[in-house]
Amino acid sequence: MTPKERVQKFFKKEPIDTMPVFSGMGTVTIQAIEKMGVRFAEIHTDAELMGKSAMTSAEMWGFDGVVVPYDMCIPAEAMGRGATLYADVEGILYPTVPTKWATLDDVELPDDYQSLFGEARMPVVDGALKYCLDYDGGKYAVGGWTLGPFTLGGQIMELDVLLKGLAKDKKRVTAFLESMTEYVIAMAKHYQDLGVDYISIREMGSGTDLLSPRMWKTLIKPNLEKVFAALDVPTVNHICGGTDLIIEMMGDCGADAVSVDQKNNVVASREKLGPDALILGNFDPYKTLVTMDAADVDAVIKGCVDAGVDAVWPGCDIWPDVKAENMKAYVEAVHKYGDAPTSAVGRL
Amino acid sequence: MSEERVNELLKELHEGVVEYDEERVVEASNAVLAEGHNVYNAVMNGLASGMEEVGELYDQQEYFVPELLMCADALYAGLDILKPHIDPADVGSSGAKGQVVLGSIQGDVHDIGKNIIKMMFEVAGFTVYDLGRDVPLENFVEEQLKTDSEIVAMSAMMTTTMMGMKKVVEMIKEKNPNVQIMLGGAPVTGDIADLFGADGYAESAGNAVQEAVKMVASLRKLQSE
Repeated sequence: MTPKERVQKFFKKEPIDTMPVFSGMGTVTIQAIEKMGVRFAEIHTDAELMGKSAMTSAEMWGFDGVVVPYDMCIPAEAMGRGATLYADVEGILYPTVPTKWATLDDVELPDDYQSLFGEARMPVVDGALKYCLDYDGGKYAVGGWTLGPFTLGGQIMELDVLLKGLAKDKKRVTAFLESMTEYVIAMAKHYQDLGVDYISIREMGSGTDLLSPRMWKTLIKPNLEKVFAALDVPTVNHICGGTDLIIEMMGDCGADAVSVDQKNNVVASREKLGPDALILGNFDPYKTLVTMDAADVDAVIKGCVDAGVDAVWPGCDIWPDVKAENMKAYVEAVHKYGDAPTSAVGRL
Repeated sequence: MSEERVNELLKELHEGVVEYDEERVVEASNAVLAEGHNVYNAVMNGLASGMEEVGELYDQQEYFVPELLMCADALYAGLDILKPHIDPADVGSSGAKGQVVLGSIQGDVHDIGKNIIKMMFEVAGFTVYDLGRDVPLENFVEEQLKTDSEIVAMSAMMTTTMMGMKKVVEMIKEKNPNVQIMLGGAPVTGDIADLFGADGYAESAGNAVQEAVKMVASLRKLQSE
């Protein structure tokens, strides 16, 4: 069974040999980048470097799948908001959007989101995805991802204006989020057409650290439902931060799987979502892979499996500057505890 | 002015903030000035105490960030009117004001939590040097040295940006080990703040409000003693 087959069968809930090691967020690490002889800032603007950094990381640590790109600016950048790449900064910094629209009045939405796929770094992402899909005869699973409509909206215009508008200017904000939904669907379909194996929708700014469950139900859920209904490829509904109060609604959005971070009570989520739901999560990637002693990583991964996840996923992007010994311990532990069937996925 | 009228205005300010009713706050603030009420009392026992309740409502998961932001707007609507008229002698009596350098770390363009913290420090009578967001690391060090601030508060919304804070802590502590450094933002934990060598942290935007509210509350307590 190839890594790609393992992940594909996983999403179909068909029996597999062992738990796949993969994520819907970035898994690129500094060791792979250094092996390539490039700097972190360089891999965001070159399709081959982006794709190669993903594949080098996967091979180095034993991942079954990869995800590109690594930053969340690309759709906003394609709409003309620019991107700060920090090319001259020492160390690791992800690109950011420097100039967001200040008010809803300023926002200029295109008539057709398809027209944005040739803009800014959109073609770089396409190239990187193709690189990964072709790599080693298509052996590895390749994930695409986009921000969810609300989080994407927060990349394009000032988040505080958007948050206040949810209550004060509901009609216009609702229309804006519907347009963002169209953008998300267009991007996800584009990546689906390129042949990715799964797509994560990261509505990470919508957890209950920010929004009330009631607001989530009326303003976030309907748009996510539209996104997942529009896609044929396996999908993941990822939200980080507080999700215990909205997990049932997350599971009801139409995605093939839900992904949560370390704040989620997976035992309770499993009870709420039932035995057949695919649940992905939920270790703290920074604590587990950067600060913790390698000897303690095994227990963290076992804890995720014991709680009831079907695949152990980091709760967010893996911070690239990981400890090599912790990465090894993480992958080894997934293989060790992933031999047994999980709630939703059997074993051969 | 009767005590009853004073309490009525304080209640208007308090409830105006809690119910994010900017017009109500503006009206009450103008009344405070027109009727010659003690402005500092109005700020601390009307606006700030309203924000304390907002913090509690957030803690109880009755309010979320949109409500916090709207409450903050109402509070600022009152502060804009009242702050220029505060008697410096009243502020001085609290004995607890200080200077804070504040900013979101380089690589992070999120500033909602930072702005909430800024507001609460301002309400508490601190002088705030807000460096904004996506702040180059050395700017924190330079601003602290320039202003001789007692506190440097940094925020990062994402794991992918918080590492810069460690460098800033090192740089500042090397120049001036007595500076108190607070870290905040979603990915920051007490362990990480300790690991980075900081003196304190706020668990999240909500917790940051709580911490800032506690500062305001303790200031008010000090003043009343």
